[in-house]
Amino acid sequence: MTAPQRNNEGFLENASEWTPAIAQDIATESDVELTEKHWEIIRLLRSFYKKHEISPPSNRLFVKAVKEQLGEEKGNSIYLMQLFSGTPAKTACRIAGLPRPTNCL
Amino acid sequence: MNVLIVIDRAPYGDWSGRESLDMAFSLAAFDKPVALLFRGAGINWLRHGQLPEDIGQKSGERNLAAAPIFGVSDLLADQQAASDYRLTLDQLLPAASLVEVRPELYRQYDHVISL
Amino acid sequence: MYTLHLLNKSPDHPRFEACLAAVSADDVLVLTENAVLGLACVNETLPLKSYALESDVKARALQDAVAASGAKTIDSATLVALTETTHRIMSW
Repeated sequence: MTAPQRNNEGFLENASEWTPAIAQDIATESDVELTEKHWEIIRLLRSFYKKHEISPPSNRLFVKAVKEQLGEEKGNSIYLMQLFSGTPAKTACRIAGLPRPTNCL
Repeated sequence: MNVLIVIDRAPYGDWSGRESLDMAFSLAAFDKPVALLFRGAGINWLRHGQLPEDIGQKSGERNLAAAPIFGVSDLLADQQAASDYRLTLDQLLPAASLVEVRPELYRQYDHVISL
Repeated sequence: MYTLHLLNKSPDHPRFEACLAAVSADDVLVLTENAVLGLACVNETLPLKSYALESDVKARALQDAVAASGAKTIDSATLVALTETTHRIMSW
């Protein structure tokens, strides 16, 4: 099996080519060690994308999307920053195989 | 500041509708009150059951369904436009509501924007 | 000899009306892109021989509107075949 196409920032070109193994590879590149807490967010993003055909466009909207599903305890920027280093929306979307969030500079 | 963004052009034709959505989502991200109004051919954004995969586009309907999650307060559908395009409330996406577009509607907002 | 009219403008574009006004009884009209929204328009009466491109109809959830309007859907291969067998074509 050939590795799926990725763009210059490491995002999958085609979200449907994503597999958990690919998530594992991208996470390793990003120095993120995946735990069940990470997988919970990854599954959430996958289902968000399936339903809405967009990535949450920015960090703030990523937080809102998580809050809507999992409540305040996980839908806050500190929790998500601890799980996904750098810009959480970008790191999480990259690992979850979603397109790059449009408004994340 | 209370913002109303008006979309009056059909989905999948040009980029103005998507840019309007982007703007609405950005305002909502910063918890600014923002609503969307669909008029004219723009009403077709709200039609339920869009499947644009074969024309290589993402579903406007599905993108819009995320608006309430992001904090866009209302998806307003111009009653006149809906009847012009034979749309009844049950054929619109669930978050939409029908309104009569009158000057008083616009006066509820501090800033009304059409791209 | 009939004319094949290819219309891709939304009903709110002035060219939509201009096109319909130019279609005569034995002409064929094909609606593509946002012109397929004309199928749902209460203000439009489409010519007898009207067709709409299937992928554009599906994209905009207008399958029911096609049935109600009396138009037929065609796929892109059929559209290509139609353009190949027609001498006079107007693209709007």
